[in-house]
Amino acid sequence: MAIRVIVRLTPAKPKAGEEFKLQAVAQHPNEPGTRRDAEGKLIPAKYINLVEVYFEGEKVAEARPGPSTSANPLYGFKLKAEKPGTFTVKLKDTDGDTGEGTAKLELA
Amino acid sequence: MNRRAFLKATGAALGAVALSGLPVRAQGLEGEDLANLEKALKEALGKGFKDLTPSNLVKLTMPAIAESGANVPAEVEVNLPSAQVKAIHLFADKNPTPRLVSFMPMKAMPYYATRVRLAETTAIRAVVETADGKLLLASASTRVTVGGCG
Repeated sequence: MAIRVIVRLTPAKPKAGEEFKLQAVAQHPNEPGTRRDAEGKLIPAKYINLVEVYFEGEKVAEARPGPSTSANPLYGFKLKAEKPGTFTVKLKDTDGDTGEGTAKLELA
Repeated sequence: MNRRAFLKATGAALGAVALSGLPVRAQGLEGEDLANLEKALKEALGKGFKDLTPSNLVKLTMPAIAESGANVPAEVEVNLPSAQVKAIHLFADKNPTPRLVSFMPMKAMPYYATRVRLAETTAIRAVVETADGKLLLASASTRVTVGGCG
């Protein structure tokens, strides 16, 4: 199942050379493998363990989260605005499910 | 002593207490578990806690109290050029899996924000791997009312 990802830039239209935040929110339970269901059975681990940020096809940042990430996680990055283009955030979880979201960077 | 003088005097005294209390608190963090942390450090970096240098270049922002450990905002920022920062790691001493995340800034600024699960009241560590092989450390502590791992 594909993971739903929403990517947002703040400020939406930074000036050239300005720092901006890139935030990605994914829809994912991020089960750490330590929680139990109503019947007391362990819920198997299933969490996002790879987050990659691409700008125009070039990898600009990578995070490897562990199991202790919250459900529906947020990932925040700070970048410098240089030229307009498209950011793609790619996620992968422990079951090999993937998801990606994009955001367009426009300069003010 | 009139009211104004009294307030001034107590205010100054409280300020002095708060200031002198800070260094003591920074040494013994609430929810420390160095044995558990040491294992995770060895696994992630091949280094122990004594190889880390506390540094004020690393700024770790955690809430003092989190009502639910299932969703705790964590933010770390390093006051160094990105080229000098190889990786940023976050650890929570008391978590079953202490390593929270490893972040490689590459072309991004050395800044990372996320939401984490905390099992119980714990010390949080930000460990920064610099390009010249140094390991910088910043610590914080979050009091957790309801754990997020069980």
